Amino acid sequence: MSILAVTEVLVAQNIAFAIIAVGVVVAGVRLVTTENVVHAALWLVVVLAGIAGLYILLAAEFTAIVQVLVYIGAIVVLFLFGIMLTRARLGEGETVNKKMRAPALVIAVAMFALMAYSLWGYFGSTELEVMGRSTAELGQTTAQVADTLFLTYLIPFEVVSVLLLAALTGAIVLARRD
Amino acid sequence: MLLTDISPLLSATTAGESYSDFVRSYLTVAIFGLLALGMVALLLGVGSIIRPNRPQPGKYLTYESGVDPVGEAWPQTQVRYYIFALLFVIFDVEAVFIFPWATRLDSETALVDSSGNVFEILGPYGSYGLVKMLLFIAVLALGLVYAWRKKVLRWM
Amino acid sequence: MNILAAVGVDNPPLDWHALAPELVLVGLLAVLLLVDAFGGERSRWAMPSLTGIGLLAALIPVATLAYDGVVRSMFDGAYVVDNYALLFKALFLIAGYVVVLLSTNYIAEGDYWEGEYYQLLVASLLGMTVMASARDLISVFLALELLSIPAYMLAAWRKRDLGSEEAGMKYYLMGVFASAILLYGMSLLYGMTGSTLLVDIAGAIEGTEVPALVALAVVLVVVGFAFKVSAVPFHTWAPDTYQGAPTPVTAFLAVGSKAAGFVALMTVVLIAFPTQPRIFEPLIWALAAVTMIVGNLIALRQTNLVRMLAYSGVAQAGYILAPLAVAGVSGASAAMAVEAVSTYLVIYAAMNLGAFAVVIAVARKTGSAEIDSYGGLFSYSPVLAVCMSVFLFSLAGIPPLAGWYGKLTIFLALIEPGTLAGYILAVIVGLASVIALFYYARVAKVMFVDPAPDGDTTPIRVPMSLAAALTITVAVTLVVGVLPQVLARVTGAETFLSIGG
Repeated sequence: MSILAVTEVLVAQNIAFAIIAVGVVVAGVRLVTTENVVHAALWLVVVLAGIAGLYILLAAEFTAIVQVLVYIGAIVVLFLFGIMLTRARLGEGETVNKKMRAPALVIAVAMFALMAYSLWGYFGSTELEVMGRSTAELGQTTAQVADTLFLTYLIPFEVVSVLLLAALTGAIVLARRD
Repeated sequence: MLLTDISPLLSATTAGESYSDFVRSYLTVAIFGLLALGMVALLLGVGSIIRPNRPQPGKYLTYESGVDPVGEAWPQTQVRYYIFALLFVIFDVEAVFIFPWATRLDSETALVDSSGNVFEILGPYGSYGLVKMLLFIAVLALGLVYAWRKKVLRWM
Repeated sequence: MNILAAVGVDNPPLDWHALAPELVLVGLLAVLLLVDAFGGERSRWAMPSLTGIGLLAALIPVATLAYDGVVRSMFDGAYVVDNYALLFKALFLIAGYVVVLLSTNYIAEGDYWEGEYYQLLVASLLGMTVMASARDLISVFLALELLSIPAYMLAAWRKRDLGSEEAGMKYYLMGVFASAILLYGMSLLYGMTGSTLLVDIAGAIEGTEVPALVALAVVLVVVGFAFKVSAVPFHTWAPDTYQGAPTPVTAFLAVGSKAAGFVALMTVVLIAFPTQPRIFEPLIWALAAVTMIVGNLIALRQTNLVRMLAYSGVAQAGYILAPLAVAGVSGASAAMAVEAVSTYLVIYAAMNLGAFAVVIAVARKTGSAEIDSYGGLFSYSPVLAVCMSVFLFSLAGIPPLAGWYGKLTIFLALIEPGTLAGYILAVIVGLASVIALFYYARVAKVMFVDPAPDGDTTPIRVPMSLAAALTITVAVTLVVGVLPQVLARVTGAETFLSIGG
């Protein structure tokens, strides 16, 4: 593999990243500035979808799928149901209060600074190493995830199905009206 | 009997050629999404250019089968619909676990006898993987059977 | 397709015999669900019997595995079936069986969802049996979730009762909070070592360059489990949850969940952190000391028997934690600690389940768990009063009841390493036991001396299943107390620690 090929890929990757990142940041700003809580939840979908796109660019396919199915699928649906089930007056003007804006801003900036600080050292490198092993060795493709799921973590995997079943029956009993 | 994978080994997708193949396969998804957005924008845009524009207050009412709407469009939802959200979440999470198994389906396991002849070719993890996945799905299918028999799936 | 690649997918061999107890439980769960779904109202009466039979059936492979005596290790040692695992599997299954006996009339006579109740109970027990064998972080975590999540819902099972909803809600919130802390610790461990196997983690964190990070991970993991076993200061959910939840569920939480939490704590600490005694020993020492003192002191002031048992359970958690505080001194002290904790958990399960059985029986008549309502119990239901005294004095550690032998093993484990910390903790255990005697004896005094509060002295009719539960628990409490060597034969720690390195 020539160095040229890598550079070309990285250029295309950077352009795609820039496009998605701008979209995510715009959607993120709208998410926290919108006055309707339902709109905020829908902006959250845009943000999460953009992040899923970034995972694809990082070749983390399984993470992207989890992002779409669990975050956009499950969590946003639960958010929306949670909003709809409460007695908030959704249609009328402001449903979000903004008293916590200043502390939220401080926390957001602090988080950004922390992450930027810890990632700074890796700027420019193409591959992270964890415990002396490359990300490829640690298992990154979806097929590698499948292999560990079936060959190493088989029992936890089957436990998950029983856990979901128990959660389902229990939740139905507790959420039913009668 | 020996279980051996005879598919081309999956190469690591960290950089270079395989990475670009990987991203290119998702380029299709991106193009498809952009086309869908473009189509919507095109239809609405062309519509807004060529249609006549005469605003009246009545036109902004919610359409409710021709009669005047009652109440608002943002009522509090009944709690019983929450069960549908819960059902969705459970099977959504199930899909997360089925997905990696599905990506492995194009690689095959060959059953080889003692003299090295392939006598059967199976899915990703052989019958072993099939049984495991069927067990996983069957346990969750029990949940669906339960919900159906307890009449949770009725809309009203 | 004619080229055979050198590297392929090697499917790990599955030992069906070793997995048989879990498979029986999964089968039982499926049968319960299908009978409930298709049998309708007619099948309600069959649920407890089916569950009981299923749990006893799951004990058969446990017995055959124990008879076989081979250590079975699967998935590179992530799932191990040895004597340690089998002892706890048997404990969980039998405790589960007794809980089914306690639940039979309580659930059938209340307005409860019966089929689902037993399904969730079995699901939770499955999580416990998996926990007994789990030797890697992911298995431990998922087993913990599988045993906890059904328990959260069972605690809120009396849907129209605010107290029960509060019980479920508090237990759930504290439980997920604990899970988050635990997961954070686990993710640090995985990040440092690149492995989820406890044995590999032990090797990798020995002499690591970042001791602060190891310390943080160990502390987070231990604190995460401390919530589960309701150690002070992470016990605040326990009294309200115990009081609000249906009483058989309380018994299940007090015995099953707590024992499973201890099994997880012991497994992780002794297999993954044996090289870090400087971190976990002082932490567990402090937790144990505070838990014993605070639990017993608050228990003194309780007027409700279930709340008193909740605080007494907190205090008992302190006793069980104590041997782990000196487990890192040497291999021998670790073995003694495992033996003491295993022994005490078995005995604690019997005497605590028994105490709750009496509470359920008495509540059938009085509808109350206030200590005052036990007045005159001896005059109209002498058998129940005597049973309750047996359990309470066993909890207090009076010979010749089983609790005495449990305390003895804890003392021996604390004294064995010969360290000052161990001696001090042994003294605290002794002092705490003396305090505990006061509130246990007070209940006995009310039962034997005080008159019945409303003058109603009709005897309590104890249903068959409750009587069976009482018989089992009394028998274990007496037999282990008089012939402790019966239990000592099955609580050895050799195979467990040899795998731990």
